[in-house]
Amino acid sequence: MSLTLLKTTFKRNWIMLLIFFFVLAMYMTVIVTMYDPDSMDELMSMLDLFPPELAKAMNLSKVVTDLTGYLASWLYGMIMIGFPMVYCIILGNRLVARMVDNSSFAYLLSTPNSRMKIIFTQGFYALASVALLFAAVFGTGVFLCTAMFPDALDTGAFFRLNLTTMLVNMTAMSISFFFSCLFNETRFSLGFGAGIPIAFLLLNMLGGTSEDLKILKSISIYGLYDPVDLVQGAEVLWVNLLYAGIIIVLFAAAVIIFDRKRLPL
Amino acid sequence: MIDVKDLTLTYPGGKGVFDLNFSVNEGEVMGYLGPNGAGKTTTIRALMGFMRPDKGSCTIRGLDCVKHAPEIQKFLGYIPGEISFLDGMTGEEFLKFMNDMRGTRDTTRQRQLLDMFELDPRGKIKKFSKGMKQKLGIIAAFMHDPDVLILDEPTSGLDPLMQNRFVELILGEKAKGKTILMSSHIFEEVEKTCDNVLIIKDGRIVEQSDVQTLKGSRRKGYIIKTSEIVSAKQALESAGFEVQTVGETAIEVYVTGENTDRFIKTIAGITVLDLDVKTQSLEDIFMEYYGREEKRS
Repeated sequence: MSLTLLKTTFKRNWIMLLIFFFVLAMYMTVIVTMYDPDSMDELMSMLDLFPPELAKAMNLSKVVTDLTGYLASWLYGMIMIGFPMVYCIILGNRLVARMVDNSSFAYLLSTPNSRMKIIFTQGFYALASVALLFAAVFGTGVFLCTAMFPDALDTGAFFRLNLTTMLVNMTAMSISFFFSCLFNETRFSLGFGAGIPIAFLLLNMLGGTSEDLKILKSISIYGLYDPVDLVQGAEVLWVNLLYAGIIIVLFAAAVIIFDRKRLPL
Repeated sequence: MIDVKDLTLTYPGGKGVFDLNFSVNEGEVMGYLGPNGAGKTTTIRALMGFMRPDKGSCTIRGLDCVKHAPEIQKFLGYIPGEISFLDGMTGEEFLKFMNDMRGTRDTTRQRQLLDMFELDPRGKIKKFSKGMKQKLGIIAAFMHDPDVLILDEPTSGLDPLMQNRFVELILGEKAKGKTILMSSHIFEEVEKTCDNVLIIKDGRIVEQSDVQTLKGSRRKGYIIKTSEIVSAKQALESAGFEVQTVGETAIEVYVTGENTDRFIKTIAGITVLDLDVKTQSLEDIFMEYYGREEKRS
């Protein structure tokens, strides 16, 4: 890994990371503020006004009354997947394919650093920035909940929730990064890098609406991710391992392909 | 120093370069000429290790251009044909970044070059003019004092004054014994700097010669205004020159360098009202080479 490049990549991309963090922090503030332990029943009854299919698609169907479960359901069911996915799509494309497409990548390769080292650094930044984003989100969550509802948050469960959500988003990042390394042109890199994560998300939402369509959920990478079950103590170790496995395989494949392919620089 | 052996690199569309063989010796400045799409940049991509060849090999100082690209980059300077910098950076940041990536600490040469090309690297590169970007590219390629230089159309976008500075720079590097491969469209630049030239067409090398020979074969068109157009034409044609009538009162004669003296002596017997020289562009020279190539085949 090249520290000089990592530093420069960070300098060129940290603003985007900050913007996404602010959006998530804002949502989090709104949702934590809306929490009222005394009127959870009312909130749940409000759900009855939703068409049940819609509620299921949004991962909102389960009855929860505690703060941790409430956050898992209202915040992590959709927002913590959808918004960071956009970040992953944009960043994945920016880090490799865009620089190959506009041929500025030539400058990275006209230094005494191997292609493997350079692409590994870019990929490392991609994953590390997602980790940083969720570390910040976790910290913000703990801070907001402690400030507004002392002792209401199950910090352990909330940590596990953020860990798995981070892995899910890293999986989306790996997909986007993989296509960014595979294609030399932005339109293909963005087409696949955005299309596939979005398709997975839609499949997952569709699969949630009825028993007949449940099969759709199981072919989506988001299908194994159930934030409410997770904070209620479901076993997630093998789910985490599976996500980690997908990330490692995609990352390794991306790096190897990029190292060997022809670059039209 | 730079050795290309049986290099074949084809693209899916069937274009590419085929069975290239050439070497650039240590201390030699080689011009690499050819029309757009002939394969100059493709050859350079292979030399930079950006693309693996289908067949054959390229080596620099005996190191394989793909396998040992990082080692080669330690003593190589490169100007891309289409320069594109990392976006969002200032010129200063970019030069510092390149120095850090290369591990270069000494910035003496960088400052000399900035002075030489009168470039102020402060400010966002995005706001730079085409010429300023080109200057920045030149400085980035030369500032670590590399032994080998691969330059893809290094003066595109520079004004004539800066093109001259660039010629000075190349002559200075040549005096220091640097090895240079330079693709170019500007004949004057090649003429002033290069020892030898390669001419490539449709992915194959069609001519490899020294600059003196190329100059000798470079034809000039002389436009002569004369009152006795018929006899003038006859006299020149019988002396073996190619003559064309231009309008009512003028003729154009094509003369290669080595025949200039004979041409002057031939027209001494004609009443010349006016004499104009039409310098042949590089394209005309290409056309001549290609014309010859086609006649041969």
